[in-house]
Amino acid sequence: MAKVQVHNVAVLDNPSPFGNPFQFEITFECMEDLPEDLEWKIIYVGSAESEEYDQVLDSVLVGPVPAGKNMFVFQADAPNPDLIPESDAVGVTIVLITCTYCGQVFIRIGYYVNNEYTDPELRENPPLKPDYSKLHRNILASNPRVTRFQINWEGLAEKMENNENLDPSPNISGMLLPDCLAGKMPPLGLIPDNSMDCI
Amino acid sequence: MKLLKPSWVSHNGKPIFSVDIHPDGTKFATGGQGEDSGKVMIWNMAPVLREEDEKNDNVPKMLCQMDNHLACVNCVRWSNNGLYLASGGDDKLVMVWKRAAFIGPSTVFGSSSKLANVEQWRCVTILRNHTGDVMDVAWSPHDVWLASCSVDNTIVIWNARKFPEMVMCLRGHTGLVKGLTWDPVGKYIASQADDHSLKVWRTVDWQMEANITKPFSECGGTTHVLRLSWSPDGQYLVSAHAMNNSGPTAQIVERDGWKTNMDFVGHRKAVTVVKFNPKIFKKKQKNGSSPKPSCPYCCCAVGSKDRSLSVWLTSLKRPLVVIHDLFDKSIMDISWTLTGLGMLVCSMDGTVAYLDFSLDELGDPLSEEEKNTIHQNIYGKSLAITSTQEPQLATTIIENPEMLKYQQERQSSAQNNCRVAGADSTAPKLNSVMNGESLEDIRKNLLKKQVETRTADGRRRITPLCIAQLDTGDFSPALFNSVPILPSSLSNQLPPQLSTDSSSGQVAAAPSLGGLRPNLDPTLARRRPANAAPKGLEDTKDQVLSSSVKSGLLLTSASKIEPMKALDSRFTERSKTTPGVPAAISSTAGLLPLDRPKDVVTSVLKDVKAKEDTSSDSEDKMATINKNLALCKRKPEPLMMDGAEVVEKRKKGRPRKDKMAPPIMSQSFTQIISPPERESIRPAAAAAAVVVTVPAPAPAAVLKLPTPSLQKAFSMQVSMEPAVFLEVENEVTSAAGSRLSQLRCSRDGREWNTLLPSSVVAAAGSSDVLVVACQDRMLSMFSSCGRRLLPSIQLASPVSALNCSAHFVMALTAGATLSVWDVHKQKALVKNESLTTILSGSEVHVSQSLLTQQGVPVIGLSNGKSFCFSSSLETWTLIADRGDCLVQWADFRSCLPTQDASGSSGPLATLQGRNLNAGRMASRLSAAPHHLQQSMTLAFLENQLAAALTLQSAPEYRYWLLIYTRFLVNEGSEFRLRELCKELLGPVHKSAATAWEATTLGLLKRELLREVLPVIGENLRFQRLFTEYQDQLEQLRNK
Repeated sequence: MAKVQVHNVAVLDNPSPFGNPFQFEITFECMEDLPEDLEWKIIYVGSAESEEYDQVLDSVLVGPVPAGKNMFVFQADAPNPDLIPESDAVGVTIVLITCTYCGQVFIRIGYYVNNEYTDPELRENPPLKPDYSKLHRNILASNPRVTRFQINWEGLAEKMENNENLDPSPNISGMLLPDCLAGKMPPLGLIPDNSMDCI
Repeated sequence: MKLLKPSWVSHNGKPIFSVDIHPDGTKFATGGQGEDSGKVMIWNMAPVLREEDEKNDNVPKMLCQMDNHLACVNCVRWSNNGLYLASGGDDKLVMVWKRAAFIGPSTVFGSSSKLANVEQWRCVTILRNHTGDVMDVAWSPHDVWLASCSVDNTIVIWNARKFPEMVMCLRGHTGLVKGLTWDPVGKYIASQADDHSLKVWRTVDWQMEANITKPFSECGGTTHVLRLSWSPDGQYLVSAHAMNNSGPTAQIVERDGWKTNMDFVGHRKAVTVVKFNPKIFKKKQKNGSSPKPSCPYCCCAVGSKDRSLSVWLTSLKRPLVVIHDLFDKSIMDISWTLTGLGMLVCSMDGTVAYLDFSLDELGDPLSEEEKNTIHQNIYGKSLAITSTQEPQLATTIIENPEMLKYQQERQSSAQNNCRVAGADSTAPKLNSVMNGESLEDIRKNLLKKQVETRTADGRRRITPLCIAQLDTGDFSPALFNSVPILPSSLSNQLPPQLSTDSSSGQVAAAPSLGGLRPNLDPTLARRRPANAAPKGLEDTKDQVLSSSVKSGLLLTSASKIEPMKALDSRFTERSKTTPGVPAAISSTAGLLPLDRPKDVVTSVLKDVKAKEDTSSDSEDKMATINKNLALCKRKPEPLMMDGAEVVEKRKKGRPRKDKMAPPIMSQSFTQIISPPERESIRPAAAAAAVVVTVPAPAPAAVLKLPTPSLQKAFSMQVSMEPAVFLEVENEVTSAAGSRLSQLRCSRDGREWNTLLPSSVVAAAGSSDVLVVACQDRMLSMFSSCGRRLLPSIQLASPVSALNCSAHFVMALTAGATLSVWDVHKQKALVKNESLTTILSGSEVHVSQSLLTQQGVPVIGLSNGKSFCFSSSLETWTLIADRGDCLVQWADFRSCLPTQDASGSSGPLATLQGRNLNAGRMASRLSAAPHHLQQSMTLAFLENQLAAALTLQSAPEYRYWLLIYTRFLVNEGSEFRLRELCKELLGPVHKSAATAWEATTLGLLKRELLREVLPVIGENLRFQRLFTEYQDQLEQLRNK
């Protein structure tokens, strides 16, 4: 079993303008003092079509981690718009939070993110070139999708045999079913809860 | 019979593989498949039992769900005492759960259901050993062991008193092991596997007792589980899937000879689960019918892949009831309530059914006492007498108000204990106020307040805010009432404090560290390279010891490296960081060459000030900081001052203060005799007995003990509280041709020294007395302040070992004679007593010499025997023998005080040491007949008592007295109990003629009786004895 259990992730400053930094307040519980740091990452999925548009917004070490309930706020800058395909700027995408211990990912938390114009005028007639200054980001905080992986908590000495737990940041779509993001999603409010199950 | 399918018990339609009812009958657990993980759920029993509770929305149905298993959960089982829940699953793990207090309701993060957990069950330990899916788990009677079986063909026995210790891995099955059951008597464990066999294993040596294959030869391996069961009287074992004439059966295996003559026939498909009712029944007496004695019988439920359930009474040829089509899929598990009248059944189809029987259908359940009588008749041993679940001897009438009062007090205190946990869990701790700041306030400012640093390679590193400590109950030393740490207070304490006077010199960030110039003490500077370099432990230890002696200061680095841990531990062990105690640890553990790469810079950055910090200490650390600032993060480099590592080490070896101050020998710390013998010196843990190993056995004719070789200089710590260090330098000054030796001593920082005319060979000391033996066979004694107490004592032969404790001095000479002096009274306690008596035999030599605080000399021999010289009897008495078979067989574990992790500590424990534990491990429920074992245990316990008495070790005497009493109570020896009470009480009416002493070893006997009586009162059988002596005690008190 995992030595670290994520109890809660609160999405702060949400919804917010596109350029605002992401803020997640992460509460986790640790079963025993960890000798190594935890590494947390925020990955922004730029385009559902290809993982090459994934951006690692930031990675941060968290430590020392004593046994007990701990919390911290993970703040990361907004994605670089230049790296997002123009066609994918508006609409639903995903932001992922992963946590790594000794180079092994043991939890991945996914949120749907809806980027849209607040201005009804722009919403009706979106500009060809997305105007990021007017885009608003809304993270569907109420419905995180959590995937847990079994890892070797005893450190680097013996890696787990299965490589699937290695840090997925360069290639995350292997874990996402591609068809769930392939088409354009309806606006967030219309997504039935269970449609999240496909992540 | 009533039948109910509570539809709300479900894993969202996913299969339920296991069900188990809590021993107290108030809740039950289910295990099975979750969304994308295994799932364990705990349910409230009340809505199953009562319709009004089911309809009442205020009565919670689901109490807790745990998604921690990574794959399907195959088995959930409550421990017999109800405190723990064990679960095993396809993720190869066994998890042990315990109810967590102090945390309010919560949901599982990310789970689709938003139902809050009413109770918090926390995984307290994970048992990893299996390499395949865990199929079944089972707690042994009395929860001594937990067994788990797996598709890796093995069964693992875990030590349930010391998770995650593994006792044994039983190998022998050649197929997937799918079911386990313990013999209710505790002698055996049985397992059934896909290899067409049922194996019975002995618990005494964990070897196979029987391998039953015949009824299973036709079986296919398609049954998911094979949950077999042992009847409550222990006479029958019933297997899951077996075949008889190509029909599926449940095979009955008789305990007597493991005969397989009977089976339960009738199911159309393989039997997956068999479960005996925990009760033994007897026929209901009908009104009017003659009360003829009928044979007691058992009741057994059988579930099958054919989706039907049958319930059998061993007194009937046909099943009591068969229920078809109860489920859509195979039955997976059955659990009876402890009352024997209710039963839960779960199925692969994801539903659960509850069956409620009446006494008319099953019969009258035997009381625990009657069940005990049956056990006693068959096995000579009653099992339930120590059970706490049900009131023992329920039929016995409490005869007097005192006993009633006592029993009620006991019950209410037990309930109170439960309520403490309950009450606190309902008050969510997280909303409580921490140092005047609520969690909400903290959350608001968390981003600003949290400590963020940069590692050497420029990465951000956040120190998380610890908002609650882990409460894992008895598995962790964390205290419940410790105050969580705040970021605000943290920021004040984070920067390393570099000077001894507190509250100055805050350093905010790493770069400025370089700017601080510690003024290094020259001696320390000289020592440092030796310390930091990854040299052998022996060297380093030696250096540090002498360096700390020189400066009269101690390394207490371990206590203040990591902020969180350090501060936490500050709350929990405020009083423990007395100088001297950590010294023992840091000097040995802290200086090991470390193999793990470490974040040096950051961990050093997080150093916290500590008031008792000494200048040398912080300077020492500063130097390390300077040295290591340049190092990159995670670069493998053996470094000495590693925060996490040191803390970790220290935690493991953290000396409990009560343990570290045993009544004996806590004074002499480590004596360094000569370099080749250094290995034989036990470090601080052995409470510093001086150990002298003999290089070659002395010739038997002339008893000659080895003498320590002469050294140029040596030093030692003779006392920890107050810290007394001794340093000897031989032939230091030559005044007019004569050579003098110097003895230096520092006590709490104050030094004195004296000169001796001859070279010092050995030295010892306590907080009161210091004694040195010189080459010229002279013994000199000094007070702790350096005053010579006696003129030099001339010994007949050179000294072999020297011990000192309190104001007693003991000298063992090379001529194998022993002397003990009381320095205060200036009197010999033991006068040149020869060791010939105990050193008979050629191969025996002295391996250990001890002097207790009471001045009792103890000699440990290489053959495992330990003798002490009783000055009152003027003889050698045997107090411990490692080869003693009584030790091996004695079984008194059920009598140990419950919260006894430390056991007894004292000279007796020191001498018997590990051996005693080994005896405990192997002894329980051995193959020996019970009465034999009982006698051996009794003999052993009485030996212990006598030994403690001879050693004048009062705490140990008390400890063993209580165990002895409990054993007598459990085994029902009223005769001895009465004698014991009589001796403790003494004559009620004083008369001049009585020779009765009111105290033993300084303990008031009547106080001891007062402690012993409640133990006696626990067994209602002895209520008259209890009352009799309770009354007399009261009378005496009122006088």
